[in-house]
Amino acid sequence: MALYNFKKITVVPSAKDFIDLTLSKTQRKTPTVIHKHYQIHRIRHFYMRKVKYTQQNYHDRLTQILTDFPKLDDIHPFYADLMNVLYDKDHYKLALGQINIAKNLIDNVGKDYVRLMKYGDSLYRCKQLKRAALGRMCTIIKRQKQSLEYLEQVRQHLSRLPTIDPNTRTLLLCGYPNVGKSSFINKVTRADVEVQPYAFTTKSLFVGHMDYKYLRWQVVDTPGILDHPLEDRNTIEMQAITALAHLRAAVLYVMDVSEQCGHSLEEQVELFRNIKPLFANKPLIIVANKCDVKRIAELPEESQKIFEAFEAEGFSVIETSTLTEEGVIQVKTEACDRLLAHRVDTKMKGNKVNEVLNRLHLAMPTKRDNKERLPFIPEGAVARKKRMEVDTPKRKLERDIELEMGDDYVLDLQKYWDLMNSSEKYDKIPEIWEGHNILDFIDPDIMRKLEELEKEEELREAAGEYDSEPESEDEEMMEIRQLAQQIREKKKLKILQSKEKDTRGPRMPRTAKKASIEHTLVQRKVLEKEMTDLGLDMTNKDDAHYVRRSRSVTRKRKRDESETPKSVARSRSSSRTPRDVSGLRDEKMVKKVKTMAKKAQKKMNRLGKKGESDRHIFNLKPRHLLAGKRKSGKTQRR
Amino acid sequence: QPQNEHIELHRRRYGYRLDYHEKRRKKEGREAHERSRKAKKMIGLKAKLYHKQRHAEKIQMKKTIKMHEKRNTKKKDDEKTPKGAVPAYLLDREGQSRAKVLSNMIKQKRKEKAGKWEVPVPKVRAQGETEVLKVIRTGKRKKKAWKRMVTKVCFVGDGFTRKPPKYERFIRPMGLRFKKAHVTHPELKATFCLPILGVKKNPSSPLYTTLGVITKGTVIEVNVSELGLVTQGGKVIWGKYAQVTNNPENDGCINAVLLV
Repeated sequence: MALYNFKKITVVPSAKDFIDLTLSKTQRKTPTVIHKHYQIHRIRHFYMRKVKYTQQNYHDRLTQILTDFPKLDDIHPFYADLMNVLYDKDHYKLALGQINIAKNLIDNVGKDYVRLMKYGDSLYRCKQLKRAALGRMCTIIKRQKQSLEYLEQVRQHLSRLPTIDPNTRTLLLCGYPNVGKSSFINKVTRADVEVQPYAFTTKSLFVGHMDYKYLRWQVVDTPGILDHPLEDRNTIEMQAITALAHLRAAVLYVMDVSEQCGHSLEEQVELFRNIKPLFANKPLIIVANKCDVKRIAELPEESQKIFEAFEAEGFSVIETSTLTEEGVIQVKTEACDRLLAHRVDTKMKGNKVNEVLNRLHLAMPTKRDNKERLPFIPEGAVARKKRMEVDTPKRKLERDIELEMGDDYVLDLQKYWDLMNSSEKYDKIPEIWEGHNILDFIDPDIMRKLEELEKEEELREAAGEYDSEPESEDEEMMEIRQLAQQIREKKKLKILQSKEKDTRGPRMPRTAKKASIEHTLVQRKVLEKEMTDLGLDMTNKDDAHYVRRSRSVTRKRKRDESETPKSVARSRSSSRTPRDVSGLRDEKMVKKVKTMAKKAQKKMNRLGKKGESDRHIFNLKPRHLLAGKRKSGKTQRR
Repeated sequence: QPQNEHIELHRRRYGYRLDYHEKRRKKEGREAHERSRKAKKMIGLKAKLYHKQRHAEKIQMKKTIKMHEKRNTKKKDDEKTPKGAVPAYLLDREGQSRAKVLSNMIKQKRKEKAGKWEVPVPKVRAQGETEVLKVIRTGKRKKKAWKRMVTKVCFVGDGFTRKPPKYERFIRPMGLRFKKAHVTHPELKATFCLPILGVKKNPSSPLYTTLGVITKGTVIEVNVSELGLVTQGGKVIWGKYAQVTNNPENDGCINAVLLV
């Protein structure tokens, strides 16, 4: 028996889509180029391949559909019946039958045309045959349009059916519409069934799960049933009847005591009598719902007699109200217990039990003498148990104090100290007293312990525990160490040697360079003297650009005109022009230069390159340029 | 687990998203642009198919628009004009002369006579021997070339047995033997798949007729007992002639029209 998963049925495409899909697949997945001058066997093979490919595709897809859809004979009769009610067994079988026929027809067409193609002696003839074959297959599918549509709808509905396990513990709710079945299931499980004041709000089965006694229980909510004969029932009611008929569950017959559902009590009882045959072999509980509006005790005599009659027959009647939640838990426990007992009974009566019973054996220890040996329970446990029951106040915990005091709370462990003089608890402990270190006297035996420790240490040292381990290294390591030693010595020698070389004399540190600039550059006095000798007027040249300003002045200047370089205002000897403005005329140029520099860096930064010389390509053979057919576009961009 | 109609239930409880209707309206507004963009960018076979389909759609749209327009405008009523009415500029012409009437009558009679032998496919391209029969070389050195294989579809009768292979001159391969034909009744316009009884005449050559080669224009005899035709005298007709209207070797099936 194949395992069906209603939620995993393949999508059934519509006829048009199916045809488009398969034909475009054939066009894409088979070779497309053929010429007249090729050898005839090659031409034949080319076209035969297309015919076979199409046939194969159709066959596969249709087989997939046929296997995925459940066979009504293979699934649990509950589901078979439910599907019959919802989708009409005949129509369903017919549709699947049609699909099967179509599949066979397509196979035959494929076979025939491949056979014919062997006699094709020209490209034109083979091409026409292929065209005829594909056309025929597509016509067959076109004729199945209705079946495919129907199956798609069935699939969609089937995947949304609630997964009800027919074999596990189940509670089934039934009754007239609007009596409170959906409210009950909402209360007891996490199912969120719609509850509305109009009848037939619930139009199909809903399932919810709950836990009781460490077991999982299913609760199935059904649409309401009206009181008419079986033949007159519509699809919605039939679903409820199917559930009642096939699920071995505890039945909760919900009645509305207050008659708010629109049906009188007598009608409800009448319905109960009518569907009683469906309750055979099932534990039954009558739930008198909406008792917050009207209690059974408030009812008139005749109605109360009905309930008494029920009790007399052996069905327990429980009053509930889903609004105030009274009695709901009671119903649940009662129903679950009854069902469990029933299931155990059935299992005991069945055949399988014997196999297990033979192997079960409860071993009781045999008494060796007549002495009574009671279990030992210490006093404290008994007291605690009593306390738990009596609910005596426990001692106040630190946590409680913390919560009370809120922000003021300070952890004060000193209050628990056990001292001879309890008033000394909060005294400050001094560190030195009368010239002695207090910590030395904490322990009366401290001196003795210290001596012992020291002796131990000496022993250890004598034993050689602290000696460094003998070199467990092998020859290689020894060699390496030797070599390293030699290298170090050589290095030192080289340094000394190079120091001795002294090719350029003692080197000045760079900081001293500034002072030497003065000697290398031309002095102001010398310059002016030479110029006057040549005939230039060199008076009043205090503001000239070559005049060396004192540092503070130049510094101030620099700060005032923040970015103006004004190489005019600076003489070379005092301060060097910063590198980013050297060689530039004016502010405009500086700005331009800065923007140019940033622009040049943009591309680099965006591509994550290390610098302008980084030309590394991370992916020399990108897949999108080299793989696949050249459909539209060139190799550069495909 | 989401059960039964959980989507509708959610919609009823929580309504739609705040921008749902706006989004939907805008999406529908965008449809036309998307479609035109797709149509412009598509290339290849996909585009051909799409454009063909779209063309058909557009024709339909235009027809409906035209119909709506017609409904709103007034049109000339053809029934009101009496028969034989002639526009003003033709009033001066003479009616048909008697001689003309007579000659027309004779021509009509001649046509009817010829019509007895009228067939749906009057003219066919003649098939040469090289086309229909392929030379098969036999012998130890493949020198002998007296055997021929039929390359077209043929029909062999029920009790057909081959001549011993050494002596058979014309080979009719089994793959090309057909027994049934799709016959269309010209008046009923219905097509039936009827068994062939025999080949009556092949227009290209009497040799083909004897061989049973079926090409376009061949007249074949089909078993029409399925149709349940009855003669005037009450006898059941079970064989009728039909003419082949397609090239069976290219299509893999024989399509014929019944000669009534």
